[in-house]
Amino acid sequence: MSKSDDKNLIARCIKGDRQAFEALLIQYEKPVFNAAYRMLNNRDDASDVTQTVFLKVYENFASFDPSCRFFSWVYRITLNESINWLGKRNRLEPLQHEAADDAGGPEQEVESAKLSADVQAALMTLSTDYRTVIILKHFLGCSYMEISDVLEIPEKTVRSRLYSARQILKDAIGEAGNY
Amino acid sequence: MAITQEKMDLINAGIDGEISHQDEDRLAALLLENAEARALHAELQALCGSIESVEAVSPPPHLRHVIMNTIKPTPGKRRSPGFMEWLLAMPAFKYSATFAAGVILTLSAVSSDQHSNSALDDVTGLVGTIADPVRDDFLASTAVDNANVVGQVSLRSSGSMLILDFDLVANGPVEIDAQYPDRTIWFNGFGQLEASGTTISAKSGSVSLAMEGKRRYAVYLQNGGGQREITVNLRFSAGGEVIHETSLSYKPAD
Repeated sequence: MSKSDDKNLIARCIKGDRQAFEALLIQYEKPVFNAAYRMLNNRDDASDVTQTVFLKVYENFASFDPSCRFFSWVYRITLNESINWLGKRNRLEPLQHEAADDAGGPEQEVESAKLSADVQAALMTLSTDYRTVIILKHFLGCSYMEISDVLEIPEKTVRSRLYSARQILKDAIGEAGNY
Repeated sequence: MAITQEKMDLINAGIDGEISHQDEDRLAALLLENAEARALHAELQALCGSIESVEAVSPPPHLRHVIMNTIKPTPGKRRSPGFMEWLLAMPAFKYSATFAAGVILTLSAVSSDQHSNSALDDVTGLVGTIADPVRDDFLASTAVDNANVVGQVSLRSSGSMLILDFDLVANGPVEIDAQYPDRTIWFNGFGQLEASGTTISAKSGSVSLAMEGKRRYAVYLQNGGGQREITVNLRFSAGGEVIHETSLSYKPAD
């Protein structure tokens, strides 16, 4: 869906059109949920964050700057909400990682589940600054400029954080014997 | 030969495809002449490939539905009243018009000797309720996301009525106890979208429901206490074990 399609839907949302909101929800639900899941490593928490993000979006359409890209706004809210959630969770309980699904099955599926778990475990070792750039780059497919837009930091900082984060991930995932 | 930061940046940018034509040539030359750079390039490419091969996780199937149920309708822009609405909004005019209409109706009934309207006398087969449309207000809602049951329970008020809306999907038999300790609230009715599938029993201070599958239903409670704080405690059980507990509370604005 193009930027102009998003704009049309947003204009309709501001007028209270629930169908337009549902169309945006259908488009962004999965990336928002995935970003939250990669940040938090917990499906229930990711569901709660996704719900909060869309409620905030719905309640704040009026404050959305139409000259900005909608996805930048949504992803920014998602990452900020996830970081807030992490803060709350860390205060309440020790960090709990979801266990990887290591149930039996075809060998390829088991390998894929192991890689997925190793990548997620490595992600969780990163600081939130590094984790956000990796998520935006590799899970949401954003360019350097788009990451800079979402995080409101200079492109140069994006590059530096991304390259440093990769170095840490390379060592962590390499240790797990994935390549 | 150690790889400088500048060369590391060049390799990373090349892998991301965020590189100028000029830098592409520089990267190609670097990889050709420097074995260490080639090794790093291969490692980073493998890393990015590994990360991007991780499959996206799917959100729970009910999540979209829950979000749509949670958002409150945005009040539409009020249109300016027309002349008749403006005129009828004036109490003096409204009472005069009602009085005049009553006088005209009485006179016409007397003059035509028509004291009975047979069409209205016979109400056999008349089914339904004619009532003033009453605005309902959303008060609170809670999402249920459990291995046995998922969905949403909302609390609305409509006049003196409280309405508990259940929109749930259960993968097996689930019992729900809705308890309202406030004795000024009592059970007043039940409605379900599906023709069957949910059973209900009510006693003083609580309602018990049993359901399975996808069910949408409403429990109507009479709020005899008027504008006071309301709490409904919900307890979900499956196989005799409590699987989820939550409550819906509403505090009226001062």
